[in-house]
Amino acid sequence: MIPGTAGPVVLFSLPLAAAIVVFIRPRWSVPVTLGTGAVLLAVALWLVGVVLQQGGWRQDIGGWTAPLGIGWNVDGLSATMLLLNAAVGLAGAAFHAARPAPPATARDPRFFWPLWLFLWGGLNALFLAADLFNVYVALEFVSIASVGLIGLVGGSAQAAAWRYLLATLLGSTIYLLGVALLYGRYAALDLALLAEGVEPDLVTAVAAALMTLGLLLKAAIFPLHFWLPAAHGRAPPAVSAVLSAVVIAAGYYLLVRLWFGPFAPLLGTGVATLLGLLGAAAVLWGGLLALMQRHLKMLIAYSTVSQFGYGLLVFPLVAAGAAHPAWAGAVMLVLAHGLAKAALFLAAGAIILRHGIGRLEALGGDQRGAVVAWVAFAVASASLVGLPPTGGFVGKWWLAQAALASGGYFWLAVLMLGTAFTAAYLWRALQAAVEPGWESGGEPPTLSPALGLGALLLALSAAALGLAAPLIARLLDAGPGVSG
Amino acid sequence: MGTAGVIFDGLLALALVWLAWQATRAADLFHAVVSFIVFGLLMALAWVRLEAPDIALAEAAIGAGATGALLLSALDRLVTREGRRTVLYEPGAAWGFWIPAGAALLGALTLAAWKLPAPGLGDEVLASLGASGVDHPVTAVLLNFRALDTLLEIGVLLLAAVTIWSLGRAPSPLVPVMPSPALPALGRLLFPVFVLVAAYLLWRGSHAPGGAFPAGAVLGAGAILMLLAGARPWIRSSEHGPWRWILSLGLAMLLAAGIAGTVMGQAFFQYPPGTAGPLILLLEVAAGLSIALLLFALYLRGEPCEHGYRGSGP
Amino acid sequence: MTVYLSLAGVLFLIGLHGFFTARNLLRRLLALNVLTTAVFLLFVVMARLAEPLDAVPHAIVLTGIVVTVSTTAVALALLVRIAGRMRDEDTDPAAGPRGGAG
Repeated sequence: MIPGTAGPVVLFSLPLAAAIVVFIRPRWSVPVTLGTGAVLLAVALWLVGVVLQQGGWRQDIGGWTAPLGIGWNVDGLSATMLLLNAAVGLAGAAFHAARPAPPATARDPRFFWPLWLFLWGGLNALFLAADLFNVYVALEFVSIASVGLIGLVGGSAQAAAWRYLLATLLGSTIYLLGVALLYGRYAALDLALLAEGVEPDLVTAVAAALMTLGLLLKAAIFPLHFWLPAAHGRAPPAVSAVLSAVVIAAGYYLLVRLWFGPFAPLLGTGVATLLGLLGAAAVLWGGLLALMQRHLKMLIAYSTVSQFGYGLLVFPLVAAGAAHPAWAGAVMLVLAHGLAKAALFLAAGAIILRHGIGRLEALGGDQRGAVVAWVAFAVASASLVGLPPTGGFVGKWWLAQAALASGGYFWLAVLMLGTAFTAAYLWRALQAAVEPGWESGGEPPTLSPALGLGALLLALSAAALGLAAPLIARLLDAGPGVSG
Repeated sequence: MGTAGVIFDGLLALALVWLAWQATRAADLFHAVVSFIVFGLLMALAWVRLEAPDIALAEAAIGAGATGALLLSALDRLVTREGRRTVLYEPGAAWGFWIPAGAALLGALTLAAWKLPAPGLGDEVLASLGASGVDHPVTAVLLNFRALDTLLEIGVLLLAAVTIWSLGRAPSPLVPVMPSPALPALGRLLFPVFVLVAAYLLWRGSHAPGGAFPAGAVLGAGAILMLLAGARPWIRSSEHGPWRWILSLGLAMLLAAGIAGTVMGQAFFQYPPGTAGPLILLLEVAAGLSIALLLFALYLRGEPCEHGYRGSGP
Repeated sequence: MTVYLSLAGVLFLIGLHGFFTARNLLRRLLALNVLTTAVFLLFVVMARLAEPLDAVPHAIVLTGIVVTVSTTAVALALLVRIAGRMRDEDTDPAAGPRGGAG
């Protein structure tokens, strides 16, 4: 038995078991969730260490090998995503635990904690899964948990939850159709097994197109992003954080797994350019819309549409031959974006709690109680824009290197223009802090200092990622992008 | 199969297409929902024709039964009293550009599906069946080869129930105005039959079509029927009562079975040698019970009362 | 089997068409269910075409049916809440009391 195989078992089972405990005994919610989060973060870190030492591995479930059995896949990419999930999950839980009690008139979100842990477990199951149908069940798991969390606050959030649910269900059904075709063609559902046997014929191409379409819808990639801003903007802050940072990344993660795994033979210049153009459009359109928002959380939500566009640039760059830096750069960007975006949403949540309103022009003036949150916002912004030495900078730098090495000047221009947009809309948000604002007159609400602290820690780790760049590069050497 | 079989298949397919069209296009929403329920029932026939009796059982109980009950009771809330005018509309024009894309996709899809070699895993399943602890291939796949899927699936059910609870309290009165005065008596008469059928299916599952899924579905459908027949929903959401335990039982037991393998130094979900048969039976009972209760919980459309229903009449 | 393969294709088209053109939200949900059934049908046809009969797609479809009823139930519960809220907003108090449905 490979050392480290207990890690995935804990990462898979613990959140689900904790969800059951918290469902049965709601009064234990906060300690159980925070304890679970601490253990999960430790195990994810340890798993990253193990992968650094001995490379990735695949472990069979129930002792059955593929094609009959299903397995878990542990490598640099999945370990990175598991770590991101653990960090954001813990910070979000801490934020939610520290938020002031909702006013008596508001609906008490009674089932936040079990849903939160279920989402956590579903995401972990998804990042571990090496089987296409297992991925489908995990995707539905994540969708339902996300819908529950979005709809918790009631009101217009439930309409947003409905739109999200319908879009995501359509996405999974289209994905499942692709899986059915692949199964009919190869009688295999395992990623590694398919990667060995796939031939670039019509059935495979149609299956690849369907699965990609379904996942683009789930990852809210332009022009399929229509459902995202309302859902992410209206959810509670902790929920927005995990949705933008991890749930969207899950769709992207699967796209990368598929195109650098089974579908690698199909990744010609045409397909890669098409995906890249979608990414470019997402970067620019999302950036433009973020610039036009008047509500802080909506600005951050549109920024998610924009930022995941960068991720798609990996396809044309890898197809052009710059596999290594492009691959590492894209994953680094997704990781840095996840940490920074979660920090932004949590900081925004604290700031909005302080001012009682989310309109940009209302956020100025007296900042007592929100200083830590604004600092976290600024640090996270620095990483999202890509100032050195943050993780965002390293990711963009690697992508730029790949673009230069392969002569992809168009993609370089997209990268630059997107950065300008990012800087512009985040500057607008930060500027709101120092303007006069709307004085409410009354004494500001007393907020727990822990509210801003989680955001600050996430923002600092996004920034510190840049210092860990060599380690990340080594971790991702074990990923599928380099072998492909 | 003979000519009669081909003609039957053709007629069945035509009926299914017509019903699906009615379900999505009929002007009257009630008509659409009923078409969808009949569509589910006829699909069960199609599954039988395709030699998938397990799916036929599940489709009849879940696809037509439980989903039908869910749809009908939701419909009662969605339509106003004055006629069946619906309240929920959303502009459809924004979707227009999708249709050509969909049609093109379908063309490519049909072309692709025609060329499928469909090798299947039948041989592999049969080769490993002896070691799986059960004789029925579908049960072996569900609870041994692909037990992880089943774990997540029971998780999805529990999660859906929690999500529905999180949306708010169950409406009261829960049961719509009786469509037929005969229903209560019929429901009470039929419930024991449902229980017997479920028990039989569960017992049969280890060697023949049946097992936890159809059994749980049948039991759940029976419970919903009882509710329609006027029984008080007996699930309570109180933290002190047993219901939260019972609803979580299936997922908890599957998780425990998975972890037990790891603790004993084997792979996740690997049953110790020789114990697969009894363990699977145990898990099946838990999974079947969970499916039944959770289907019932889904039907409540909200968090049930914590301690008990007082009179729900006017 | 050609019959059922074509059936899957036609059902898929009906579901897709319904999903994109229906204006009523409940109808859109029904269309999505038809769409899912078409995918299940494709799985089972493949199981039937395989030699010997393949149990794996059967298990997959059984799992899929349970997952689908869960998502449908969540969608319906959400829909009922949204409709209730819309009705509360739409109903003018001056227009008289609502029916007993709420």
